[in-house]
Amino acid sequence: MGRIVYAAAMSHVLYPDYYGDNVGPHGRQMVEALIAVVREMGATLAAAAPDALVVIADDHLNVFSFDAIPAFCVRVGRSVNRMVQDDAIEFDRALDGLPERYAVHEDLANSILEKGMQSGFDFAASWSAPLDHAFLSPVSTLYGNRPIPPLVPVWVNCFVSPQPTAQRCYAVGRHLARVVAEGPWTVAVIATGGLSHFPELSLARIGQSDPVFDRRIVKWMEAADHDALAALTAKELHETGSHELLNWLVLLGAVSPARARVRFFGEMGRIDLAALEWSVA
Amino acid sequence: MERGVSRYETNVVLYRLKKDPAFRERFRSDPRKALADTELSDEERDAFVRWDARKLNELGGSLHLLISIPGLSGH
Repeated sequence: MGRIVYAAAMSHVLYPDYYGDNVGPHGRQMVEALIAVVREMGATLAAAAPDALVVIADDHLNVFSFDAIPAFCVRVGRSVNRMVQDDAIEFDRALDGLPERYAVHEDLANSILEKGMQSGFDFAASWSAPLDHAFLSPVSTLYGNRPIPPLVPVWVNCFVSPQPTAQRCYAVGRHLARVVAEGPWTVAVIATGGLSHFPELSLARIGQSDPVFDRRIVKWMEAADHDALAALTAKELHETGSHELLNWLVLLGAVSPARARVRFFGEMGRIDLAALEWSVA
Repeated sequence: MERGVSRYETNVVLYRLKKDPAFRERFRSDPRKALADTELSDEERDAFVRWDARKLNELGGSLHLLISIPGLSGH
């Protein structure tokens, strides 16, 4: 029987230059401290030697267009490429040195998709969508030069309204846990994305975060109060700039009832950075 | 920015500006002409022509597009 052997969630812009340029020396130092912690977490993850690594993250209108925005999309197929764009902005410029192609764990990806369709989770499927910083910044920081296991990328629509609800994201995570339990594989799951930033997705409010909200939700994760987290409303997530918490809610559904352990929490001003692990093994 | 369904017309133009270098060049040299075949409202069109990123954001333009258009990023 399969099981989840490692679970963590973390911020996904793990680039000192980005925060150095946009926040200053204290931003740079804070993200460097976070990166050091994520590298330690990567040693634990690599030691767990999962057959597959599920990565739950969001698109920043890099990959999906207004042709169609999937609420949830499972990346299937044999391999997945790093996104390449001629005029990459600062988030994605740091992807340039990374490997161009990564294996997909086809059997697990197909199981999540097929069993989802059979049980009321109408995932979109993609055979060709590439990965941006939301996936590869955490994965490359966790693994460093170690071999990366086959991935199952899952996108959640965090930014193009109307988004899926927190409750629905949590339910998708429960589905993921069932698929893993029914399969033969050991699986690691990570969710990525910042705590509060870009409140209301307002250009005028760039630079603001909501540390009070972030402290509260992290406490809920430590206490495994998943009902409170799944009850967060779209309005609360939007007003506090916690859109990417939807990725974390999928992970919470997958690991419930496990409690989180805070490995890093930092209040930067522009964004709050965090890295949490769940005791699943 | 309100939370309703995303404003398609504004965002599809922003998306083209991000992803299509030839369109971006036409927009830079003559914005009104580049936007001639779009279905923007007058208010949206004026905000594009003046390149008022905050106004475009208030009209429903995606923050992530507005901060990622090469040479035009808005913050």
